[in-house]
Amino acid sequence: MEPNRRPPVTESVPLEENTLRDQAPADAVPDTNTQPESPGQEESGAGCSPSSDPPLGLMDRSSSFFKLIGTFALELGELKKEMVHAPATVDKTPMDLQMMETEVSGIYLHPPDCGGVEKDSGYDSLRRRMSVLDRLTLTHPVWLLLPLSEEEARHVLLKQPPGVFLVHRSAALQRKVLSVRTKEDQAETPVSHFPIRESQYTFSLEGSGISFADLFRLVAFYCISRDILAFTLKLPEAIASAKTQKELEEVAQLGAGFWDCALRTQRCTSPHLCRRLSRTLSPQRGNNHKGVEWLKPSPTKAQCDSAPPTLRPPAPPSSLHLERKHPRSPLCFLNPVFLQTHHHHHGCEDPSSTPAPKSDESLKSKEALPAKACGSGGEQHTDKIRLNGKARPPPPRPPRPRSMPHRRAAPPPPGPPAAPTGPSKMPEAASSAAKRQQVSGKRSGPARPPVSPKHSGLFNSGPSNKPASKPKDPDMEAQRCHIALDDETIAKALSCAKLPTCRAPPSVTADETPESFAGSPSSRNEKGRQRLSDMSMSTSSSDSLEYSQSPGYSLGLASSPPQHLHQNAVEDSSEDDEDGVEEEEEDYGVGLETDLEMRLRPAYKAQRLKLGVGLAGGSFVLPRALKGRFRKMSGMLRSLVTPEKRAVRRISELSRDKGSYFGSLVQDYNGFVQENRGCHTSGVDFLQTIRQFMTQMKAYLRQTSELDPPIESLIPEDQIDYVLEKAMHKCVLKPLKSVIEATLHDFQVSSGTWQQLRDNLAVAKTKLPQELGVDGAVPPDPMAIEKIRHKFLNMRKTYSPEKKVTLLLRVCKLIYTIMQDNSGRMYGADDFLPMLTYVVAQCDMPQLDTDIQYMMELLDPSLLQGEGGYYLTSAYGAMALIKNFQEEQAARVLSSETRNTLHQWHRRRTAQRAVPSVDDFQNYLRVALQDQETGCTAKTLLVHPYTTTEEVCSLCAYKFKIPDPENYALFLVTKDTSQQLAPDTHPQLIKAEIHSRPDAHTFHFVYRRIPNLNLCIPTVVQNGNCVLGMETLN
Amino acid sequence: MAIRELKVCLLGDTGVGKSSIVCRFVQDHFDHNISPTIGASFLTKTVPCGNELHKFLIWDTAGQERFHSLAPMYYRGSAAAVVVYDITKLDSFQTLKKWVKELKEHGPEDIVVAIAGNKNDLGDIREVPMKEAKEFAESIAAIFIETSARNAVNVEELFQKISKQIPPLENPEVESNDSFKLTRQPAPSARRCC
Repeated sequence: MEPNRRPPVTESVPLEENTLRDQAPADAVPDTNTQPESPGQEESGAGCSPSSDPPLGLMDRSSSFFKLIGTFALELGELKKEMVHAPATVDKTPMDLQMMETEVSGIYLHPPDCGGVEKDSGYDSLRRRMSVLDRLTLTHPVWLLLPLSEEEARHVLLKQPPGVFLVHRSAALQRKVLSVRTKEDQAETPVSHFPIRESQYTFSLEGSGISFADLFRLVAFYCISRDILAFTLKLPEAIASAKTQKELEEVAQLGAGFWDCALRTQRCTSPHLCRRLSRTLSPQRGNNHKGVEWLKPSPTKAQCDSAPPTLRPPAPPSSLHLERKHPRSPLCFLNPVFLQTHHHHHGCEDPSSTPAPKSDESLKSKEALPAKACGSGGEQHTDKIRLNGKARPPPPRPPRPRSMPHRRAAPPPPGPPAAPTGPSKMPEAASSAAKRQQVSGKRSGPARPPVSPKHSGLFNSGPSNKPASKPKDPDMEAQRCHIALDDETIAKALSCAKLPTCRAPPSVTADETPESFAGSPSSRNEKGRQRLSDMSMSTSSSDSLEYSQSPGYSLGLASSPPQHLHQNAVEDSSEDDEDGVEEEEEDYGVGLETDLEMRLRPAYKAQRLKLGVGLAGGSFVLPRALKGRFRKMSGMLRSLVTPEKRAVRRISELSRDKGSYFGSLVQDYNGFVQENRGCHTSGVDFLQTIRQFMTQMKAYLRQTSELDPPIESLIPEDQIDYVLEKAMHKCVLKPLKSVIEATLHDFQVSSGTWQQLRDNLAVAKTKLPQELGVDGAVPPDPMAIEKIRHKFLNMRKTYSPEKKVTLLLRVCKLIYTIMQDNSGRMYGADDFLPMLTYVVAQCDMPQLDTDIQYMMELLDPSLLQGEGGYYLTSAYGAMALIKNFQEEQAARVLSSETRNTLHQWHRRRTAQRAVPSVDDFQNYLRVALQDQETGCTAKTLLVHPYTTTEEVCSLCAYKFKIPDPENYALFLVTKDTSQQLAPDTHPQLIKAEIHSRPDAHTFHFVYRRIPNLNLCIPTVVQNGNCVLGMETLN
Repeated sequence: MAIRELKVCLLGDTGVGKSSIVCRFVQDHFDHNISPTIGASFLTKTVPCGNELHKFLIWDTAGQERFHSLAPMYYRGSAAAVVVYDITKLDSFQTLKKWVKELKEHGPEDIVVAIAGNKNDLGDIREVPMKEAKEFAESIAAIFIETSARNAVNVEELFQKISKQIPPLENPEVESNDSFKLTRQPAPSARRCC
């Protein structure tokens, strides 16, 4: 932090307070955007005001953060004390609260520069509505140019003033890199590159101790504080001076092409001019590449070429982009029926159509107003296509920005409205959510009741003083907390920063006041706790800023759709009390429950609340009257949503948007499954297609531009898969759960398994533990069995295979606890598996079988090796034993069955590559003919396992009518390699071998001409029956 | 250091001390960072090996005859299998041979097999001569060691030996440019000839 920046903030606070309070109502009226912000604002306001006090003096470059932390903690403690009595009086004196809140938000929201000097400009009231973070989030297509090379980034930045930056991905480092234009006189190189480190859940600059929840926050922070940089980052003028979201969106439409325009924009300093400029640009929105062409003559053209975002037409129906983006998208391999359905819905998306026509199409479909400046330009077209093919496509701009209030407010179908991914973009979300509170469910982030005065003590206790109750899973929980802190860091920094853009004054409505009031202490409490549980250095530095929550920021987070919450609550409530208690520990810090939950399980909720408060240091019974406040607070709580949740939410939002490609795929698929559930051969087969669909969708989401901002900017790369998996459960399994269950059941009934299972269960139930192999350990008594049964029933209610497995683990844990009762003995599988079998038999739940199947087939394959996989396997085994209980040759039946399962698991492990196609079946081999003239044609050939390559070659020569077969050979082509197969190898065996690899990649058998320059080095492989030649493509 | 997760499955008659060995292995150096597990039939432990950390995911199996048919589900995907017998019970050694055979036939290719003769603290009632077991192990290129879970003898060593036998992770880049490697293809040509 630069010391000199802070003092102004401090001074201005009081000033702003008054001014803004007056302003607030006025602002609230015209701009709906701001309204919802208030909850976040107060919170941040409360946090901010102390921080901006005296501690500033302490700030020197070297140790600013750490000192700040201490100071903030102190200040917060005080603030807490002040706030503490307020909640108690909430019911009686709402007016006071309201006023208080107003003050608080006033304080918070107005950084000095907005208030005083800049005030005179009529635009300020508009400008201050958008934080740096908002601006960054809205304009990421401009500065987040992952496909750009270092050289290209340098080119772009050379023409920019010092401080202007880009984020791109370095191929050499395999990392994202922040490239910054340096001051000419300062550095040897005009552009510096700072690699970005991504660790669990966080992003940070290499060499810096400060980490952030996502890229936007990282960049936003460095716009304000230089930390390890030589100076702070600078937003391009057009972005910094934009006054409305709309303008920013227009800028964003330009994508990488912006950098060409930016030259002009720089010159325009007056708001008027800028505004005009952005208006000028707006027509290009429909027609981005025109913008590019317009830019073409400019010296930076080269960058434009390499920056695909610029090049694609911006806001066409997102589906139009797809094929171009994913020339070989796995979606193309989907079930033909499915594809048909899909096509039906999207006539325009023809996977085979070439990009060029498409862009034309989109051109036509757009208003395509060529700006006069745009010049003419069809020439760039080809370039564009090529680029699109190779690089990550720019995110398509939705017709309406996600953050637009009315979109938010749009009548949520049964599904929740989409959640905004970006921070502070959805001011409305909070308020609308608050209004919809009846539905509001569970907290999205950790939060605690805003109660105990003793809380403040916690803040001074420092990291060494661990909170009484720690999150159950320290790793995950700490990480999540960490994120929240980071968010706040930014928020704080932003709020205090001296920026051209300032925060909007709080618009306070009576409705929101109590909520916000209640919210702020609670969330602060929460933060205190988080901080304590957080040990990383980066966190502590962020801590220093954590207490000031920027309104914009918290609002963005607050945008969780009510339905989501609802669903959470339901899931939660499906747990029995014991589980609930466990949950409480896990969610520690989230003690504040929302209204829905309270209504669902009043007693339990109360208990939980009480517990949460108790942990906080005082016993406190939530007054009923406060409930409403809490309810309203849920919007606040949601502000603590982790990036993971935001991402999941965003994806599930997208999945409900039929206008998006992803959404239409998911919807169509879900519909397809429902209508065609009978067309599968078995339950396992059915589940596997679903699993495959999810796996493919994950692959799609990784590369799609429909996720805006791209998922890489929100989630560190090693977490992306996990997040996507979660999202897919929500998008696919949740809506399909009942259909899946019914289908599985139908299969069981029709195959007779159901009846057999019931019969055998009945027999098994009569057996004593000893008869099932239990030896010595204490079996659960009927009461315990009833409890376990109940847990199994709850397990059945959830849709997420992971969650189910978690519940299964709880059952196992309980069984262990009972077994070990009083004997300190450790029981291994010799004792556990028979006991589990006994328990399953006693529970007498034939439906458990399908549930286990569901988990086995739908669980993320990567989890199958861990503890969940182990106990799931055991449960499957126990069930299988019971299923075959009466059969004399149970063992043999089981063997074949389990082997079969094994085989299917193998298949699923390789599911990434494609849906099972005919070539997966044993005696078929799909061989592609690669021909210079005609491209690729493929044929499926009947090839037995021991058919040699030589034989396959002659078959190919015949089938493909090759006149000179001696010049052709069979190649095994994988992603990066191509190997000629020796004549005496066995393609089917090779195929089987590859399939059985855990890391199997896509591969093809290609029949093609042997290259003239044949570098074939025959290698004898192991047992000698496979001689492979190898050469590398390209 | 990269962490590699290695699934290890434990096979052997009931009562030979499979879980005791693992409990000893896992608990002797109790690591507070290890999240408490549900129970002793699935345990994990991380040990350093060269440039890598090996995280053993240890899957215990039930030794009773009736559960044998479930074994494939447990040893599927294992990097190593520890087959345990009781040196005081000849029967358990016979069972071990069956397990070894099954692993060779149906187990994952390249699975590292370790034979552990447990209860070597009861040497005076030994039924399986060490020499015989050792020779058997050599004949199948398996790791052999006699252990005593009770006295914590050779337990650590058993897993160290396994660690050493796990081939180090190949550099993925090298691998992709490398020739396609087919290991241990079943000898189909022979069958074809017949």
